[in-house]
This record gives sequence, C-alpha cells and structure tokens, in this order.
Amino acid sequence: MRPLVPVAPWAKVALGVAFFVLFFAAWAAATLGGYVNRTFLADPVTMVKAGWRLLTVHGFYEDIGVTIWRVFGGFALAAAVGVPLGIVMGAYKPIEAFFEPFISFARYLPASGFIPLLILWAGIGETEKLMVIFIGSFFQLVLMVAVTVGGTRRDLVEAAYTLGARASGIVRRVLLPSSAPVIAETLRLVLGWAWTYVIVAELIGASSGIGHMITDSQALLDTGQIIFGIVVIGVIGLISDYLFKTLNQRLFPWSLA
Amino acid sequence: MARLLIEEVSRTFPGMRGGPPTRALEPTSLAVGDNDFIGVLGPSGCGKSTLLRIVAGLEVPTTGRVLLDGVPVTAPGADRGMVFQSYTLFPWLTVKENICFGLREKGVPAAEQARVAAHYIARVGLEGFEGHYPKTLSGGMQQRTALARALANEPKILLLDEPFGALDNQTRSLMQELLLGIWESERKTVLFVTHDIEEAVFLANRVAIMTARPGRIKTDVAIELPHPRHYTVKTSPEFSAYKARLTEDIRTESIRAATMR
Repeated sequence: MRPLVPVAPWAKVALGVAFFVLFFAAWAAATLGGYVNRTFLADPVTMVKAGWRLLTVHGFYEDIGVTIWRVFGGFALAAAVGVPLGIVMGAYKPIEAFFEPFISFARYLPASGFIPLLILWAGIGETEKLMVIFIGSFFQLVLMVAVTVGGTRRDLVEAAYTLGARASGIVRRVLLPSSAPVIAETLRLVLGWAWTYVIVAELIGASSGIGHMITDSQALLDTGQIIFGIVVIGVIGLISDYLFKTLNQRLFPWSLA
Repeated sequence: MARLLIEEVSRTFPGMRGGPPTRALEPTSLAVGDNDFIGVLGPSGCGKSTLLRIVAGLEVPTTGRVLLDGVPVTAPGADRGMVFQSYTLFPWLTVKENICFGLREKGVPAAEQARVAAHYIARVGLEGFEGHYPKTLSGGMQQRTALARALANEPKILLLDEPFGALDNQTRSLMQELLLGIWESERKTVLFVTHDIEEAVFLANRVAIMTARPGRIKTDVAIELPHPRHYTVKTSPEFSAYKARLTEDIRTESIRAATMR
C-alpha cells in the first residue's frame, strides 16, 4: 500500500462488503456462541425474525413511512428557507453581518433540548416533529451555504464584471452556478443529520415512527426489534445518500475531477 | 484623439495594522491611440497589473482618472474586455457558453449569439470544442477561449494581463502569433501587460517601460517593425536591437526591485 494510490473498482466493492460480513460474523459469534447475555443483545437470527414479525404482523412499514415523511418534510422546510437565506447572506455582506452572529449562536442550541418546549407549543403531533428537524438542520445549513457562496472565486467574479455583468447577473450567473455543487453536497450532509434528529424526536412523545417502535421495544426488552429498527435507519440513510450522490453527479458533470 | 487616456493615475494601499501605507503606483500618464497595441513592460511587483486593473475599473485609483473616449471610467464594463493571467473561464459553462456570456448579459438574441460565437471560435481555432467544459481543455485552449470571450463582446479596448504567462514556451509563441494575427486583421486597440521583453517587442507597436515599485512609466519606445509580422522577425537584427535596448532599460529596474525590500 502506498499513500493516495486509488483502489480498483472491484476491490473497492469487495473490501466494503468484507467489513459488513466481518461485522455480522463477529456479532453472530458473540451472541450465538453464548458470550453475551441474550437479554442485552439479540443475535442476528433473532433480529431478522423480529424484523419479519414487525413488518408482517405489526405493520412496521407504516412507521417507516411516517419517519421518512417527517425527515424529508423537516429537511425540505429547512432547505426551502435556509438555502435562499444562505445565498443572500453569502452574496451581500450587510445581510450577512445582520444575521450571522445570531445564527452562529442559534446553531449551538441543541435541537433535542427544544423538544419539551416544542411539545408545550405544538403538542406531540407532526408539527413538533418537523420543528425539531427544522431547528436541528436550518442554522447549520444557512451558515454552510453562506460560506460557500461567499467563497466564490474572486477572479471569476471579476471576469464576469469585465464582461458587462451587473450585480444581479453576478449573483445569478456566477455565485449561484459556482456554488450549486457544494450546496448540493451540503444538503446531502444535512439530510444525514436530519435522520438523527427525527429519531430523537420520536423517542419522546410519539405514537408512530421508527423511534417510537424502538422505545416500545425497550419496554418489552426486545433487543432484536431495537436493532432491526436501527438497521432499517442505516439502510434508508445509505440509499438516500447514494441517490443524492448520483443526482449531484448527474446535475453537475462539470465539477467532477 | 486618444482612445484611452490615463491621467496622473496613482494607487496607494493602506498600511496593514497601522503600518505605513504602500504606494504601488506613482502618478502615471499614458495615451493609447485608436488601434494601438501598447505593451506595458516592467519587473514583477512594479504595479503594472494594478494600472491595468484600474483601467478595467476593478480597482479605484487613489489619484487621477482614466478616460475612455472622453468618458471617465468608474466601474468595470463591457467596453473594456479583459483576459487574466489565471484561468478564469466559468467551469460550469461550455466553450461556446463561455464565449456567449457577455452577449447573453447584454440580451443579444440567441441566433446572433451563436453567429458571433461561431466566428470567434473559428478565429481562435477551437472548432470541434464548442461543447467542451474548461476542465477538459489545455491551458493554451483555455486562454484562447478567454480571448474569444473578451473579443465577442466587441470591446473598445482589450486589456491583457500577462495572458500567456502560465503557458509553456511553444504554446506561448503560437498564442502570440494568434493574437497578433487577430490584431492585424481586426485592428483592435490593445493594452498588454507583460514582463517578457521579447513578447512585448514582437506584439506591440509601442512599449512603455515601468520602473520598480512604486512604478511609473520610465520610457515609451515605438517599435517600428513592419506588419504583418512573421515569427521569423524575432531573429532579425532590428528585433535584436530593440530587445537589447529594452533589456538594458529593464535590467536596471529589475536590479532596483531585487535590492529593495
């Protein structure tokens, strides 16, 4: 192995799969071999059985659907407000000076800490779940978008000026297209965070969703179900991440190395 | 009448952390006639790029003013096309879209844009590369596109800030010939900044030599080599004589620049 030398495509897939296999083998060995008490950690077979029961008997796919809708709903709200605000902040420095200190403060406010307050304001319905995700992703998103737009190559901006572009042309035809791929990558990252916030929101005061199923299973000491719920989140995250990545590559072919 | 008048333009940068301000450019005057090709030659850091950026409107002079066709320059505009030393093509646009950037900004109809783009793509020899993104082009091709992009706007004056500085020697020679060919056939007015003496003599009909920082124009030499100039002119005795003279002038400035801190 030499530093930074790329790996062949087949080897990349094989190595990635190998770790999954190793991980599950170690888990199976620890649980099926009797080294770990079954009360605390279910074995893979029990997990799969528990998962099958959840899906066929308890209608777990409805919970999955509810959770996905919450994630994308909260994320879409945060993106719909955060991306435009980030763009104008990055482009126009007085606007940045106005919002930036507050947003820098607000992004350290823990979204999960707001849950009791949000339940008080909005009840335990969907609004509260969306608000948790919104608070968790919005402030981070705004700042990252603003930094991206503000970091646009100055020589490209100057070139556009010498070609006769005015302020609005600079924003629309230089700042936006040059930042678009990085903003898309930022959205991909923030979507990942939205997944952690939704589960936290569902652990407290929810009557549906993957997080709700996990708390219910805790009461029943059903570690198989808990692990299945966590694995489902991981799989959905992996799929949405892959789709996002593919979409970004399709949309911005010019930005690939 | 002069197309471009630079009148007592100077530039002083404010001092960092309460330090003394830095004077980048002494008050400098220069008149550029219609169809002139002026080479501005100077050691690095002499303020020649600052001068060009002031003409472009990208920087504001501390004193003095710049007049283009009698109108003072206050901001950048499409009437002064510029090619930079760094590669400044928009990476998200193809060669053709880059060339059309200024035309689109002006609201020129698409058919007219396509016609102008095709003309300049042919002029700089990039047929077949219209749909390519900049990252797939060599440095020389990128600078040819940048030149076409500036020309497509039909500016009153073309400002070139060491546009071939980052290219290898062979590509650079070819680019010089290409530029000279365009200037000879289309009679553009050009202000060209460089530190390459041979490049300045080969291309320009007047060379202004700048002093070491803080820069000002020290001498202004007319290059009376006949047009069209073929690259073989570079080996002629007349060419060598100009080169020797300018080398002597610039050498003293380079030594000053090197011994100053």
